[in-house]
Amino acid sequence: MPTVSLLLLDALGQALGLFLVASGLALTFGLLGVINLAHGELLLLGAYTLLAAERAGLGFWAGLALAPLLVGLLGLALELLVVRRLRERPLDTLLATWAVALVIRQTIVALFGPAAHTVPPPISGSVELLGVPYPAHRLLVMGLALLVGGLLAWLLLATRLGLAIRGTVADRTLAAASGLAVRRLDATAFALGAALAGLAGAATAPLVSVDPQMGLGFLLPAFLAVLVAPSGGAAGTMLGAGLVGGGESLVAAFASPVVAQLAVLALAVVLLRRVAGRRLRRER
Amino acid sequence: MDTTRRRALAGALATTALAAAPLAAPRPLGAQPAAVKVGAVLPFSGGLELFGQQARLGLELAAAEINAKGGILGRPVELLFEDNKTDPKTSVEKASRLVARDEVLAICGPITSSARDAMIPTMARGRTPLLYATNYEGGACGRYVFCFNTVPNQELAKLVPYLARTKGTSFYCFGADYVWPQKMFAHAEKLVAGLGGTIVGKELTPFGVKEFAPVIRRIEASGAKVLLFALPGADGITFIRQAEDLGLLQKLTVGFLGFSEAYLGAFGPGKGQDMYVAVPFVASSEATGPRDFVARIRARAGKETVVSHYVMTHWLALTALARAVEKVGRIDREAVVEGLEGLTVEAPTGPVTIGAKDHHVTLAMFLARTEGDRLVTVEALGPQAPEAGCG
Repeated sequence: MPTVSLLLLDALGQALGLFLVASGLALTFGLLGVINLAHGELLLLGAYTLLAAERAGLGFWAGLALAPLLVGLLGLALELLVVRRLRERPLDTLLATWAVALVIRQTIVALFGPAAHTVPPPISGSVELLGVPYPAHRLLVMGLALLVGGLLAWLLLATRLGLAIRGTVADRTLAAASGLAVRRLDATAFALGAALAGLAGAATAPLVSVDPQMGLGFLLPAFLAVLVAPSGGAAGTMLGAGLVGGGESLVAAFASPVVAQLAVLALAVVLLRRVAGRRLRRER
Repeated sequence: MDTTRRRALAGALATTALAAAPLAAPRPLGAQPAAVKVGAVLPFSGGLELFGQQARLGLELAAAEINAKGGILGRPVELLFEDNKTDPKTSVEKASRLVARDEVLAICGPITSSARDAMIPTMARGRTPLLYATNYEGGACGRYVFCFNTVPNQELAKLVPYLARTKGTSFYCFGADYVWPQKMFAHAEKLVAGLGGTIVGKELTPFGVKEFAPVIRRIEASGAKVLLFALPGADGITFIRQAEDLGLLQKLTVGFLGFSEAYLGAFGPGKGQDMYVAVPFVASSEATGPRDFVARIRARAGKETVVSHYVMTHWLALTALARAVEKVGRIDREAVVEGLEGLTVEAPTGPVTIGAKDHHVTLAMFLARTEGDRLVTVEALGPQAPEAGCG
């Protein structure tokens, strides 16, 4: 049996990795309330941006910087062309973004082929940690997740833009009446969420198989993490990711991956009932 | 390339046929005889495009070769490809349309077990042969079902003893939670027990898991010397990448069930080395048959084309269909069944015999391992008979 501290480190790694993926969703879904089923495909685009950058000889770091930029721009276009027009119809947003997801996936198949690709990590070695070699790239992803979490918290809590976004979320009418450009704020927050998805895709690419279906596997746990998060901000999402990602990792370590997924799903159902109950009481 | 030449040839054949048999049914001079339609229900979108494309390469080469030799009993073969979107329901819809509207002689495909099992009742009702050419768990039986790839015993019978002999007798089984890995592991357990080895752990995972660290730690802690691995597709690639990163691959040897050339290049240079599999075709083989086959595929599809056993088995399915119909001497669905039963076809790897009762193939197998960026033959295992599970 591996040591408990090693299992905890693995769990922390999975939780932080999931946070990185869920941070974009925390903005678009947690705050704006847009059910963006193309989030996984935005992540996919981030990974393929990195792949294209590697192929063009630009290297990992340039790819990591390009991914959020390109995917953020695409997110902006998505907001202006699709999401904005369906603002009052959440169910249609769901369908429309799913359609966008299909288009992105098949475009990737057409451009890069259906086969899986590999992206080498920028630092290939391992670091001696807790008596075992721990892959350096995993530590890098964990560090990046913490950095993104910090920046997101700072943006939302300590900047005028963050204040404006939070104000719009809290009371749209009042925010608009106070002279805030709510539509522009929507677009900004959505683009930012997309950019975070692109960043997550590029950062996790060296850990997984990069193929046209990779977005799907990230979508469900990320939504779960945001759903069980007690609040839409960075800290809440971090907690949600900790519960879902860390929980799954630990249950998988002591039971099996099948039990782990069931346990996380059960946890989500229980938490969601409580959250929904709380919201219901508040609305009354 | 030579469509015009081929058409001219077919035209010439038709004219000679007319000249030789002036009492034959009147047909406009020089017109082609009606094509023999063969359906192909394969995934060209929805996740398993890679396998759909591999299958298509084999089918198209077989069709081109049959037509270049004058077709089936003088009629050209026409392939009707349908995209099943990697979905069982779509597979059934496409199959019914091919059977009823297009009146195909047979259908090749699909890839997944779920799509195949969904299609079989439709095929039986339509009395149309299904030519399935993907390795699977066994048990797909019936008058109208023919399987041209391997079942568990063919892949495992020599692989497990080899790994036990050369790598160690403690095995760990890890795979996806569905029927193929379950049947593979059940068969492997019998083999390992027979060899006096032990299964130190066995577990299954749902699809879509992106983080395998907990499982990798557990496998490592089990002290197993061999990992029998049956997690196909992207998840399998993710697992191997993470197992490599976390140092598991230095501690044991992977028997990667269902591995083929289609996976090569997915692990990165120098990664995913020394993994073992038993396959009915190895593209890097130096033998004349496989080398020539790969050259024929690449001449049509490009120099860099990946050629896996799926290309060969789908080529085999259509080639066998043509031989079967020629043997019986008439072109209809029952003739396909009659002709295929007990037929022996010359494949690039040697003779392949289709079981008269079980409709599964006895074919040459090869023990292979990943080495550099290739899959290379370790040992030619000779013909292996299937335990098809047809009772």
